[in-house]
Amino acid sequence: MIAPEPPVPVPTRFVPPPGTAPIVQLRGIAKYFPGVIANEDVDLDVMPGEIHALLGENGAGKSTLMNILTGIYQPDAGEIVIDGYPQSFASPVEAIAAGIGMVHQHFKLVKAFTVAENIHLGWSDTPRAVSAAVLERRTAELAQALNLTVDPAARIGELSTGEQQRVEILRVLTRKARVLILDEPTAVLTPAEAHELFRALKDFVARGNAVIFISHKLDEVLEISDRVTVLRGGRKVATEQTAGCTETSLARLMVGREIVLSDMRGRSAGAAPIGAPVMTLEDIRADDGQGHVVLDGLSLVLRAGEILGIAGVAGNGQKELTQVITGMRQAASGRILVDGADFSRAGAAEFADFGVGHIPEDRLHSGLAPSLSITDNAVLREYDRPPLSGGFGFNGRAATALAKDIAEAASVTVPDFGMPVRNLSGGNQQRLVARREMRIASRVLVAAYPSRGLDVGAINMMMRYLVELRDKGVAVLFISEELEELLNLSDRIAVMFHGRVMGVVDTAEADIDTIGLMMGGKRLTDDAKGRGH
Amino acid sequence: MAYRIQRIPSAPPSVALAARGLAIVLALVTAGIVLAALGFNPLALGWQVLRTTFGSSYGLEDVGLLVIPLIFTGLAVAVGQKIGAQNIGAEGQFYAGAFAATGVALFVPGPMAVILPLMFVAGAIGGAIWILIPTLARAYADVNELITTLLLNFVATLLVYWVATGPWLDPSGRALATTARLPHEVPEFWGIVHWGLPVAVVVVLLVGALFAFTRWGYEVRIAGSNPQAARYAGMPFRRHLIMVMLLSGAIAGLAGMFEVAGTVHRLQGGISNNFGYLGIMVAVLARASPIGVLPAAALMAIILNSGIVLQTQGITVSTVLAITGLILFYTAIGDELARYRIVRA
Ligand SMILES: Nc1ncnc2c1ncn2[C@@H]1O[C@H](COP(=O)(O)OP(=O)(O)OP(=O)(O)O)[C@@H](O)[C@H]1O
Ligand SMILES: [Mg+2]
Repeated sequence: MIAPEPPVPVPTRFVPPPGTAPIVQLRGIAKYFPGVIANEDVDLDVMPGEIHALLGENGAGKSTLMNILTGIYQPDAGEIVIDGYPQSFASPVEAIAAGIGMVHQHFKLVKAFTVAENIHLGWSDTPRAVSAAVLERRTAELAQALNLTVDPAARIGELSTGEQQRVEILRVLTRKARVLILDEPTAVLTPAEAHELFRALKDFVARGNAVIFISHKLDEVLEISDRVTVLRGGRKVATEQTAGCTETSLARLMVGREIVLSDMRGRSAGAAPIGAPVMTLEDIRADDGQGHVVLDGLSLVLRAGEILGIAGVAGNGQKELTQVITGMRQAASGRILVDGADFSRAGAAEFADFGVGHIPEDRLHSGLAPSLSITDNAVLREYDRPPLSGGFGFNGRAATALAKDIAEAASVTVPDFGMPVRNLSGGNQQRLVARREMRIASRVLVAAYPSRGLDVGAINMMMRYLVELRDKGVAVLFISEELEELLNLSDRIAVMFHGRVMGVVDTAEADIDTIGLMMGGKRLTDDAKGRGH
Repeated sequence: MAYRIQRIPSAPPSVALAARGLAIVLALVTAGIVLAALGFNPLALGWQVLRTTFGSSYGLEDVGLLVIPLIFTGLAVAVGQKIGAQNIGAEGQFYAGAFAATGVALFVPGPMAVILPLMFVAGAIGGAIWILIPTLARAYADVNELITTLLLNFVATLLVYWVATGPWLDPSGRALATTARLPHEVPEFWGIVHWGLPVAVVVVLLVGALFAFTRWGYEVRIAGSNPQAARYAGMPFRRHLIMVMLLSGAIAGLAGMFEVAGTVHRLQGGISNNFGYLGIMVAVLARASPIGVLPAAALMAIILNSGIVLQTQGITVSTVLAITGLILFYTAIGDELARYRIVRA
C-alpha cells in the first residue's frame, strides 16, 4: 500500500458456539452452459461471523456460483444448505427471504429516485400509505441501526459510486440479510471508500452474520477475509485460513503454477525513444450538458512512445477527458491538435481512423452491445475494412475469423461466437475490449482503468501489452486510481482535480506525497516541478 | 417434492415454437367454447373454415391475396425496430403509398411497362414522405416517433377518404365513393393472386440480406442494440436512424401501392383494412426478424381469412374480431411463458 492508512478498527470478533452449523453450505454444485463447465463439484461453507473471500481467474465461475446461491441460476447438480436445512431458491426474492442478499457489480438502482425510494422499492415491509417524509425517516432509522451513513433524500444519480454502493448494501441489509455477497465491490471504489466499506463489513459480521467477498485484489483479500476459497476452471481447488496465505501463495493456487510478474520499469533495448507530440490538448473546456463544468481549462501533451499516467480520484473529469480525446464529446472551447492538424471538431470515426484506440471506463455500456453476438462485438473496430468489408458488403465468415483471432490473443475461450457477449464473464469482456482496441491503436491508446475486473495474471499481461505498444512508439494515456500501478508503468504522471491538471511529474522523480496533495487539489509549484511538462 | 417456476432470459427456440403452437390451439379451444355458448357447432364451423381455406384453391388464393399487404406492413414495422424505432404509422404510410400510386396511374399517361414501375416508386416515395416529419423530429429533436407516426395515420385516412369522394371521385358517376378504376393493374399469376406476392417475398429477402450481409446492416444492428456503442465506434447514428425510418415508411407505402394496383383497383376510403396496424402484430410475431415476417404474415392472413369465412356463416364481425384478438393474445402470453420453466424444489 502506498498511501499510509489508519488500520481498520477491529470490532470484537463473533465466535460461533461450537457445533454451530455453517450459515451457508454448498455441496457438489455444478452448472453447465453450452460448451462450458462454469461450476463442477463445488463445496463451500461459510460460518457465522466470517468474511469468506472467493478467488479465481477470470471465467473461473465465481459469479456463476453466487448467482446459483441467490437463485438467479438453478444448479445442474448439488444442493444448497442454509443453517443446516437444504433449500432451493427459484429467484433472488426467495434467497433474500432466506437471508441471502447480493450486491452485483453493476448496480440495480433507479437513478431518478431518491435513496429512500430505492430502499423501499419492491419491499413487502414498505408501508402502504407512504409520504416522502415517512420513507426518509424510516430510511434514516434503518441506516443508523445498520451503521451506514446515507442521505435518504438524495437522488441516486447525484451520488458517487461509493455512496451508491452503500445504498445497495443498505437495501440488502434492510431485508434482514444475514449473508451479504459482494461481487468485486472495490473495483469501482476509491481507496478511502474501500476502507469505509471494510469497516462496515467487519461491523456486519461482528453481529454474527457472514460476508462472501469476490475480489481480484489479493492485498484486500488478505486484509479483510478470515478464510479464502479458490476456484479454478469451475472447480474448487482449496479453502484456506487467510492468516496462513500470502499474495504469492494465493496467486499460485488461482493459476495452478508459479506466476512470474514481470517488472515493467525501464525501457527495453529496442524501444522507440519518447518522440514528438502526437496529440496536444490546449485549454479544453467542456460541460456535462447540465451546466456543470467537467473539464476546466485542461492542457496535456501525449508523446509518441510514452505512457502518460493520469492520477486522481474518479469523477474529477477523467471520463470526459477520455471522451474528448476520442471524439465522443465535443469540447466547448480549446483546441485538440493531432499530428499538428486541428481535430477539435472531429468525430469518433476520424479519431479511430487516425489510430486512436479506446478502452472505455464503462465497457459494458459504451464499449459493447451486450445483447449482440461476441463476433459482432469483437469486430466493432474493423468491420469497415478488408477482409470484413470491401466497401458495401459485410463478410460474416471473415468477421468470425477475426473474432476468433481477437479472442485467442485475449486468452478468452469462447464456446460459441454467436452467443451474446453479456454471457462472457466480466473479466473476459474486459480482455476482449482491450485486445480489440489495441489492434487499432497505431498512434494513441486511451486506457481507462484497463485492469478493472481482471485477475492478477491478466493485469500483468495487460501491463505488458501497454509497454509493448509504448515501445512501438504509440502514445498511451493510462488512467488509473492505483498509484502503485501508475508509478510502475507511466513515464510521466498528470494529476487531475476538478477537471484540471494540477501538475505533471516525471515518474522517476515523483514524490508520492506531492501526488497525494495534488489529488486533493493543490497545484504543483514551480520549484517542485520536475522536467515534466 | 415441490415444484416452482423460474424465469430465464430467453427461451430456447424449440420451447418458443412449442409455446406458439400451444397458444394457437388454446385460442381455438377458447373460441370454440365461446361459439358453442352462442349456439353454434364449433366443430362443424372449424371444419368449414379448414375446408374453405385449404380445401380449395379459392381459399388459398384468398389467403395469398391477404398476405401481400401484411408482408409489407409487417416488414416495415420490423425494419424500424432494427434501430429501435417504433413505427406505429404503417397505416398512414399505406394510405400515402396508395394515394401516390393512384395519382400516377390516373394522371400520367403511358404504357403499363412504364407506368407500373413508376407507381411502385411513387408508392415507396409516398410512404417515405409520410414518415419524413416524424423521422426528422425524432432524429433532431428527440420527439417520440410513436405518437407522431400514430397521429399522421388519422390525417392520411381522412385525406384519402376526401380525395376518393371529392376531387378524384370516379367521373363516370357509377361509383359513389371511389376513384375510377385504375387504367393499369398488377397482373395476376395464380388465380386472383397478383405479382405483388413474389415481389413482397423478394423485398423481404433483400431487406434480410441488407441487414445480414452489408456493412450498413451491421452498423444499424449495433446502433439499434446500443446507441452508445455506435457513438463510441464513430457510426453516424442519426443518419442511420433517418435512413432506416424512411425505408420503413417506403415499405409500408408499397403495401398501399400493391393493394390499390393489384387487389382493389380503385382508391377508396378505408382501403387499408387496418393492414398497417396488423403489421405491428406481424412484426411482433416475427420478433422483428425480416425473414420471420414471412411465416408471421402467413399466419395472420390465415387468421383473417378464417374470420371472413366465419362471417359468411352468420357470425358477427365483432365475434370474429374477438377470436382474432384471442389468438394474438394467447400467442403473446405463450411467448412470455416460454421464458419460464419449472424447477424442482
Ligand atoms: N449465461 C451464460 N451463458 C453461457 N455461458 C455463461 C453464462 N454465464 C457465464 N457463462 C460462462 O461461465 C464461465 C464462468 O463465468 P463467471 O461469470 O462465473 O466467471 P467469474 O469467475 O465471475 O469471472 P470474472 O472474474 O471474469 O468475473 C465463463 O466461461 C462464462 O463465459
Ligand atoms: Mg464475475
